Amino acid sequence: MKSAPSHRLRFGIGLALALALGIGLDVLLLAGARAADARVRAERQAIVTLNALTDVVVGAGISGDPVRTAVAAWSKSHPSLAAIRVIVFDGISLEASTDPKDSGDRAAPRRLSREEKDAYDRGQRLRASVETNRQEGAARKEEIEVGAADRGALDLAAPLEKDGEVAGMLEIRTATPPPPAPIPVTTALLYFFAPLAVYAAAAPLLGERRAPLAVAASLLLAVVLFLFARQTLRILDADRVETDRQVAARVGQETGLAGGLVAPGAAAVNPAKWDTDVFRHPRPGAAATPPGGAERRGRNVFFGVAIGAFALLAFFGLGLAARLGATLSRHRVAYLYIVPAMLAMIVLVFFPFLYGVAISFTQQTIYNTGQPLSHLWVGLQNYGHILGDFAVAKRAPDGSLAFNYLNFYWTLLFTIVWTVSNVTIGVTVGLLLALILNTAGLKLRPIYRVLLILPWAMPNYITALIWKGMFHRQFGVINQVIQIFGGQPISWFDKPFTSFLTALSTNGWLSFPFMMVISLGALQSIPGEIYEAARVEGASRWQQFRAITLPSLKPSLIPAIIISVVWTFNMFNIIFLVTGGEPGGSTEILITQAYKFAFERYRYGYAAAYSVIIFLILLAYGTVQNRVTRATEGL
Amino acid sequence: MSRRNKEELPHSLLHAILLVATLVTVYPILWVLTIALSGKQSLAIADLPATPAVSDRLRAVIPWPESISLANFRSLFTDQPFTRWLINSAIVAAATTLLGIFLAATAGYAFSRFRFPARRVGLMSFLVSQMFPGVLTLIPLYIIVVKWLGLGSTRTGLVLVYTTTAIPFCVWMLKGYFDTIPRDLEEAALMEGASPLTIFRRIVLPLAKPAIAVTALFSFMTGWNEFILAATFMDKENMYTAPVGLRFFVGGFSQQWGYFAAGAIIVSIPIVALFFFLQRYLVSGLTAGSVKG
Repeated sequence: MKSAPSHRLRFGIGLALALALGIGLDVLLLAGARAADARVRAERQAIVTLNALTDVVVGAGISGDPVRTAVAAWSKSHPSLAAIRVIVFDGISLEASTDPKDSGDRAAPRRLSREEKDAYDRGQRLRASVETNRQEGAARKEEIEVGAADRGALDLAAPLEKDGEVAGMLEIRTATPPPPAPIPVTTALLYFFAPLAVYAAAAPLLGERRAPLAVAASLLLAVVLFLFARQTLRILDADRVETDRQVAARVGQETGLAGGLVAPGAAAVNPAKWDTDVFRHPRPGAAATPPGGAERRGRNVFFGVAIGAFALLAFFGLGLAARLGATLSRHRVAYLYIVPAMLAMIVLVFFPFLYGVAISFTQQTIYNTGQPLSHLWVGLQNYGHILGDFAVAKRAPDGSLAFNYLNFYWTLLFTIVWTVSNVTIGVTVGLLLALILNTAGLKLRPIYRVLLILPWAMPNYITALIWKGMFHRQFGVINQVIQIFGGQPISWFDKPFTSFLTALSTNGWLSFPFMMVISLGALQSIPGEIYEAARVEGASRWQQFRAITLPSLKPSLIPAIIISVVWTFNMFNIIFLVTGGEPGGSTEILITQAYKFAFERYRYGYAAAYSVIIFLILLAYGTVQNRVTRATEGL
Repeated sequence: MSRRNKEELPHSLLHAILLVATLVTVYPILWVLTIALSGKQSLAIADLPATPAVSDRLRAVIPWPESISLANFRSLFTDQPFTRWLINSAIVAAATTLLGIFLAATAGYAFSRFRFPARRVGLMSFLVSQMFPGVLTLIPLYIIVVKWLGLGSTRTGLVLVYTTTAIPFCVWMLKGYFDTIPRDLEEAALMEGASPLTIFRRIVLPLAKPAIAVTALFSFMTGWNEFILAATFMDKENMYTAPVGLRFFVGGFSQQWGYFAAGAIIVSIPIVALFFFLQRYLVSGLTAGSVKG
């Protein structure tokens, strides 16, 4: 080899990229975590103030001049509050306000104007929540609303109670918070360059030997990432301690202020109940919170990042990257031709498939698509619910069987019945017509043939809608025919069996031409001489069919049956458009059921698990089919 | 050479069977024609009196309108947004065809002519992708196309999704055809100093015209007939494709059967014509082992 690859250089590049990845990701995660912590801190402080002020306003009797005095005094000593508003439901009045908008002729007290309906509704919402929680003796609904105002400020509201009833609402808006802590760029750069410098200095001493270089680079990477992660975790820890300290300080400050504003003995000012969550449940004190959950998750994240960084180091250091690059450039023309199609397939077929499999392990619904999948992870729970529920039928009190049509095994059974009966009908009718059409000397054969193929040519969604129309209870043609023969009209879609018949006739109608064309092609390729010979031997017609026709049909008919099983199994349009699963989901096949779980019940995770099971069934079928095909080819 | 003997069934019986079968086959199509030409929205062929006699009922079954009128076709194009839906369908199907052919021809050519690492894996991955159930990829596709790319209710989104649905079949089909084209011509051109791109454009593509035509028509039919994806992605009424629009006429509580029937005929005619043109390719191509859900 002329230009031997430099291990030193490779590990150097690998180390640099791994450091960039590891430290870069860590810094981004740190910034995200600190921003989240700052939000929590601001919210907790605001809630303390809100609860304290609630006590003060309730102590002042909710309405009247004492409230306005208290609110004004409170506002003066709180530069962190942009506005305070007190709304009383009785008379729909704004009792007190320090909002700059409520000055001049809009100053409190006054009736709420029409545009302020939102505020009134908010109050009523809180009242309803408090009442629900009281009735249920639980904290199911939020009793404090926290919303986002402009530029990171918070907008909070709490109910005001008088004589055990929610009689009003207190709103506060915080001032714009200080800018978030800056990203520690200098530290990060130091952590990035220092190990590179060490490596650059040490590498010449190690020479061009792969093992020592690998150990040196890995060691440097491990030490640096560990140190950086530890520092990051420390910063986050300090943030949390600082939050608890500041909240405690806020409680102390408000205690002093509230004590001065509320007449002694007028009402309970209870600082112990100020640091609460949005359900107005006291938060456990800082000492009581074990550092478990958040910290462990933080450590896991850093661990994941480190693994990624090491993979990168190995990829470059061991020369895999170089080899990949060489392969790509040697076959660049071929890859260039393939990349567009492959890219499209990866983005819109393979990635969605893997993503779908991932979703199947979560409890994703339409309401939580914004959350990362890891937060919704439930493992195999969906599969357990689908496959572990054997309650297909229940005995009703009167002794009859009541089927649970949403049960997986019902749908599976129905799908199998549906597939088998359709394919049987298709093959029987198709083969019969092909045999007739193959009769030599029969007149008008081409015309019959073209007309009989028509159903295959029609778009199947149109076929489905036509048949749905023809099965209409009142105006449908089929019920008219039944009545001509003196029968009673049938409500086709009211019973599972009749509903099944509608889909079966529709699909039978559109699927027999395929079998007919296949059989006809095979029949025409059988030389007539064989039949002549058989007749000379004295074979009966049935014997000829058994001994000559069927074996010659086999090679083309078996693949056709195999493929039409898959088509029927997946015949979405017919079921979806003809029966729509009526009645009560009894005539759904697996894929329409999966579709309905996703797009009518919006249970994405459950529907994805359902689809994966369908995929596995098809995969198993495909494998068996391959074996069978090979076996029949051997015959 | 007549094979008739006394064991053969009489031709009259065969004709009777064929006649019944043809009647059953053609009836729904005649029914649709009747409703379309009736000029009314009802799905009954004839209005029945309160106490219908057998003759009235017979009238209501015979697929011939009480009075022939083109009103349904006229108002389909004037009062209803059907023109818009047809245009959407045509654009989507045409764009799918163009994009699909471009991607499939390049990839198929590379798979046919070059030997490179991961060639088999690539080819097999196209085949395996045919086994993914549509519903499984539908949920992530919905999230990717609508939520991430913001292409909900756009023709672009639909074209992308349809193209990837059609690619695997087209790649295999074209690769198979390229394999049958002898390499001598290309080698000669290579000696003359032509670049791979020139060879592909000037020599291979023109020779593969028949296969490309069939693949193109197949892609077009995929885009023109597709229903579920379009129904899921196209929320806005003016962005419906023809299939979704036709369903809209008679789905839910809407009962505009006249519009549906007229529209169904307009949409079906080109596709039925294409079908008869493509028939023999379809039989060989589809039985070659596609397992698409």
